[in-house]
Amino acid sequence: MTQSISDSGPRPLAKDSSVKAPVVQCRGVKRIYQQQSIPVHALRGVDLDIREGEFVSLAGPSGSGKSTLLNSIGGLDGFDAGTVTVGGIDLGVLNSAELADLRLRKIGFVFQAYNLIPVLSARENVEFILQLQGVPAQQRRERADDALASLGLGDHAHRRPGELSGGQQQRVAIARAIVTKPVLLLADEPTANLDSKTTSELLAVLQQLNQQQGMTIVTATHDPIVMGFTSRQIAMLDGEIHQDTMSTP
Amino acid sequence: MNTLVLLFNLSLRNILRYRRRNFFLFAAIAVAVGGTTLSNSLIRGWQVSMLETAVSGLSGHIKLQAPGFADEPSLERAFSSDTQIALSQQIPMVGMTQRINLPAVITSERETRAVALVGVVPTQENISLYRDLLIEGEGLVGADDGRLLIGRALAQTLQTRAGRRVVIIVQGADGKSRERGYRVAGVFDAPMRWAENVLVFTGLGALQENLAGDQLDNPITEISVVLNDESDRGSAAAELAAAHPDLVIQDWRQMQPQIAEIVDMVDSVMVIWFFLIMSGLTFGLVNTLIASVMQRTRELGMLRALGMNKRLLLVQVVLECVGIMIVGVVAGLVLGVAMVFALGDGIDLSAFSESVEAIGISTLLRPVLTLEDLLLFGGLSVLVGFFASYFPARRALKISPLMAMNR
Repeated sequence: MTQSISDSGPRPLAKDSSVKAPVVQCRGVKRIYQQQSIPVHALRGVDLDIREGEFVSLAGPSGSGKSTLLNSIGGLDGFDAGTVTVGGIDLGVLNSAELADLRLRKIGFVFQAYNLIPVLSARENVEFILQLQGVPAQQRRERADDALASLGLGDHAHRRPGELSGGQQQRVAIARAIVTKPVLLLADEPTANLDSKTTSELLAVLQQLNQQQGMTIVTATHDPIVMGFTSRQIAMLDGEIHQDTMSTP
Repeated sequence: MNTLVLLFNLSLRNILRYRRRNFFLFAAIAVAVGGTTLSNSLIRGWQVSMLETAVSGLSGHIKLQAPGFADEPSLERAFSSDTQIALSQQIPMVGMTQRINLPAVITSERETRAVALVGVVPTQENISLYRDLLIEGEGLVGADDGRLLIGRALAQTLQTRAGRRVVIIVQGADGKSRERGYRVAGVFDAPMRWAENVLVFTGLGALQENLAGDQLDNPITEISVVLNDESDRGSAAAELAAAHPDLVIQDWRQMQPQIAEIVDMVDSVMVIWFFLIMSGLTFGLVNTLIASVMQRTRELGMLRALGMNKRLLLVQVVLECVGIMIVGVVAGLVLGVAMVFALGDGIDLSAFSESVEAIGISTLLRPVLTLEDLLLFGGLSVLVGFFASYFPARRALKISPLMAMNR
């Protein structure tokens, strides 16, 4: 089932959207980059609501603004106008340290290049973020092992990233992202470096997290396979939301 | 604490991660610190040698003389050997000795030379260079021994040797010259060539008997005091001045101000030398550490993206820099100590004896290693590492979390 919206107002579309609170709210978000003193409008006043439990894909060609929007939502990059709130927190009023703390406690990240710390084992990579949060050692170990086990990596906890396949590394990255139980999981092209089989397996993992644990997931992607796994597909073009579609995966 | 352990662990792993590069970095630091340790121990040895030479060259740490003696040395400005020397218990003394030390002329059948005729009590001279003289022939058997000990250089000049007779002309207590024949008991080798050329020793008692007039029984011209700790010289001089207001009390620094200035300058030389070496090393260190940060731009960006704030990132980079420095410094100190021990017997500078004596040291330069120097320069090296980490840390702080998204 697919439902499409073409108006330009806020898009509160989601399953049970009438009862779920928005995890992400964007209002009139603009982002302008200067390229050799020529302004480039990466985002042109984006309005968007993402509600709890949604699995959203941001798609679009290069330069469409999907990564910029993802970065703004994740507090990785600023914006020049508008407001972005995550979990009810207005990102526009936070300083660098507060944004870092928000990312640490509220948002999980999965990167295209996995970005695991190469000198740490899989378990230590997952524990790392808990350690930054100040979680005690015993609890840290248990939670890291649980997260790895839930992603089928229980036997690989002691291995370093270099000893794992790409798919396994990305699953460790997902374990690291979810171990803190964030309100929002942001994934930037998470399957771009994986073959189709591993891609499907990984997407199944994300889907399972979304459906069984109700985790809100936003992923930027070019890949139609990824879009096929998500419950809501947002197509971006020239810094604006071109199409916002909800479907049953 | 939890976070510090995390950062320490991460820094340690990162240091081990680039083994080859860091090995060369460690080696560079170790060689620099080891070399500095060795060179500083030689400089310190030079300083100690200068101090010992200054003190053991008959002056001691403190010398007591009659007023005016320093300007016009003669037995007319002598004082009594009954003068008692005592210091409080807080100022321990190695020893003290009484002497007559007068300008004289020595003549053999072939040559005549100006010398310093020194009447000594041999048993009290364990505080001066007399203790270290290598004597060919016989030594003085006591204060009443009226024979002479002359230096090898002087013996060669006079073309004399042990057992031969020479004539000494010296002014007596009555102001008249006394000329007397002496037998040479022995010829000595001294660490300093000037001592061989200038010093002529004889027994104090015998000299007193030969030179004394009606004014004083058993006259002496100086009392030399050597302390356990050179730094006590000020308080010791003050005590002695209070006890003997009729005498002039001078410490070795007042008697040999040029040597004192050089000794003081040595500490500055060591620090300047250290910073010259370390500043050269710092450029290499900073360059390597910045390269290390640049090499991990995405990784550090990822740490920022995951929520590590700038302060923690700064601490991590600084910990890595300081960690590298600590390992290199410890290895360098071990290397330096090993080199110092290898040179424990000293460096023989006798081939340059005249030049060496001109700068006030003996011909055997022994490195001197002190715990204070090791801790000071080890600590300063780590401090240099800490400041060197500023540049890579500043570079790391500029890394945006967006770098994690770079593909």
